[in-house]
Amino acid sequence: MAAAQAQTLSSPRRPAKVSEDRGQRLWRWLTFGPALAMMLALSVLPIANLFLTSFQNITWADGQQVRTWVGLTHYQALFSDSLFGAGISNTLIFAFGAVAGQMVLGFAMALLCTKIVRGRVLYRAIFILPILIPGIVIGAIWKLMLNFDFGLVNKALGLIGILPHDWLGSPETALLSVIAVDIWHWTPFCFLLFLAGLESLPQDVFEAARMDGAGAWQELVYVTLPLMIPTIIVTFAFRLVLAFKVFDEVYLLTSGGPGTSTEVISFTLYQRFFTEDKAGYGSAMSVAVIFLVSLLLVLALSARRRTGAAS
Amino acid sequence: MTFTTRIPRRNVLKGMGMAATASLVPGAFRPLYAASVAPITIVINQSPWFESFRRTVEAYEAETGNKVELDVNPFAGSLEKQRNSVRASAGQYDILIMNSGWFAEMYAGGFVEAITDIDPGFQLDPEIYTLGDTIYYDAANKTMTKAGKLMSMPVSPLIPMLYYRGDLYQEAGLSAPKTFAELEANAKKFHNPPGMYGIVQRGARGPHTVAYDFYPYLYGFGGGIFKDQATGDYSVTLNSDQGREALDYYVRLAKEAGHPKTAASDQAEVIQAMVTGHTAHIMMVIAAWSQMDDPNKSAIVDKVEWAPTPSVEGLTTSPGLGHWLAGISRNVPDDRKRAAVEFLRWFQTKAAQLETAKAGGIPVNAAVYKEPIADERRYRWMKPLAEALPHAVNIYQFPEASEVISVLELGLNRAVAGEITTVDALNGMSDEIEKIMAGHSYKTGKLDPLK
Repeated sequence: MAAAQAQTLSSPRRPAKVSEDRGQRLWRWLTFGPALAMMLALSVLPIANLFLTSFQNITWADGQQVRTWVGLTHYQALFSDSLFGAGISNTLIFAFGAVAGQMVLGFAMALLCTKIVRGRVLYRAIFILPILIPGIVIGAIWKLMLNFDFGLVNKALGLIGILPHDWLGSPETALLSVIAVDIWHWTPFCFLLFLAGLESLPQDVFEAARMDGAGAWQELVYVTLPLMIPTIIVTFAFRLVLAFKVFDEVYLLTSGGPGTSTEVISFTLYQRFFTEDKAGYGSAMSVAVIFLVSLLLVLALSARRRTGAAS
Repeated sequence: MTFTTRIPRRNVLKGMGMAATASLVPGAFRPLYAASVAPITIVINQSPWFESFRRTVEAYEAETGNKVELDVNPFAGSLEKQRNSVRASAGQYDILIMNSGWFAEMYAGGFVEAITDIDPGFQLDPEIYTLGDTIYYDAANKTMTKAGKLMSMPVSPLIPMLYYRGDLYQEAGLSAPKTFAELEANAKKFHNPPGMYGIVQRGARGPHTVAYDFYPYLYGFGGGIFKDQATGDYSVTLNSDQGREALDYYVRLAKEAGHPKTAASDQAEVIQAMVTGHTAHIMMVIAAWSQMDDPNKSAIVDKVEWAPTPSVEGLTTSPGLGHWLAGISRNVPDDRKRAAVEFLRWFQTKAAQLETAKAGGIPVNAAVYKEPIADERRYRWMKPLAEALPHAVNIYQFPEASEVISVLELGLNRAVAGEITTVDALNGMSDEIEKIMAGHSYKTGKLDPLK
């Protein structure tokens, strides 16, 4: 009876709740709608257009664009494009090489910085300096530093009796040199993220470890690193995606040369899409690159999820 | 098309007064080639000859009162801006300064309007270099011959020339090399690294870098890229025996008498090597001449001499055209097109081209090369240039040239860097070029691979 009474009591309120829900839903759509429309217009539509163009050939006649449907031709051509192959393999070497270097150095610098008591702000400012320099200036700085005839690197090596080397012009060292420049440029990014992670770690765990007699090395291996794993994975994912998109350093320092030694996928894309004006083929290559970068991101994030679940 | 203009009476009286005054002062009267017209915008690249163009434009503005805005860009940036402008419904740029690597794309795409379509009365100065007739385009036959319409005006008749150290040659009792054998012998004689290199070549991979540097060698050895573009035969002949000799020679010169970083040297570095006195020879577009004698930039003032690029015995010099042409955009308003024509009408005159030469540029009017200025020490490059220009080769006559250039840039750079052999480079490039031409439905084919 009590239930029936409750039903009777609650039944007149039901329409009010429904209309409130509707009102809220409408309000939600009104506020969310413009943002969604903006996102669709700015990100989904351009990518959809890129995807559509990747199945077409674009030519020009009498000042007018002529689009011709070519199906999967451009995607098939990717497999026989030696530049695309070189671009992918060099990008992978570049991305993993540079990011590994940045992670190790960034972590070491962050660890050091947490131990410094005096001049901490000054050290931080110095460490993050390279990340504040525009890419074009970095290109100029390192082109001069690595110059064969009058670069500081060769001059310094000359002081200890080492003959000058063509760092950017030799196929053996060109990619290594670009990786070194990228490490110099982006290590501060890793440093900042690691520093923030290290400073937010709970101190009681370290105190407990020390009371249990853990040394500095054991503290690092058994306490700091496991606690930092989520930060390390996020930093790695961020940097890997950014490294995969490298362009300015390669364009300014080597233009992809000598030969294909420093050909990275963004540069190949630039060549095919812009220099050679092959919009259809360039679009297919862009779609392939977007797929690869997304794949890397998904792998990195799923790794983070797994480690998160494990911890 | 007729135009009517209302001129206020006061301006007519002012004009009559000025004309009467001018006629009383000997030499004060100069023919006015340009009418008062709408302001125009020119998109141009930042090349070594740009400063001379800027000063010539200033002279035009001062003489006519017309306004010209210059949009200055790097080489690749200029092409991209031109493409964006001509493909829009309304163009931003009235005059496009087009390089030999892309003017065919602009003609064939219908982006440039014929000068004689804008002004049927336009007369090309008979002394203007037509540079392999690349200023004409026959849209029906897709060829560049005088049978086509006048599409553009030469702005800088650039071809590579041999720059050599006249002082060193004099000391050694040598004369300017005419053959590749002489060049190699002389380069080796002066080669004493790291202070002095026999020759510095432009072997880097770029938008049109090592390929452009290689053309005088390729054609000077009797080779070529295509069988006969003029008749529409695009069979690839790059990997001929002559092509192989040329590339072997180019690579050998780099290894035995060149700079160790040839595979990474671009135009700026080659010029730098010359002006700092670290090389005995370079092959470079003539536009860099003014830097050689500029005491603010050069350590070798008055020491450089010029000669046509060498060839093998029995052939003539064959420099590749790397010239710049001025075309008028199709998609700009008529008044700006007419203003652009007025600028070009003025630009082609002997007087304007003398200004260009004095400002450090390369005249496009042959009459200037017969003037006393050509005998002055400062302009000692003029006579060798006038000698070489008639032999200049137009490398590309089709709009897809940028694709072929990309292939050459990569293949040649890999050969220079020692990444692949010259034979592999030539065979590989030939295959790719043939594929490109076939893909665009040109009549093409290829030679048997070199072994």
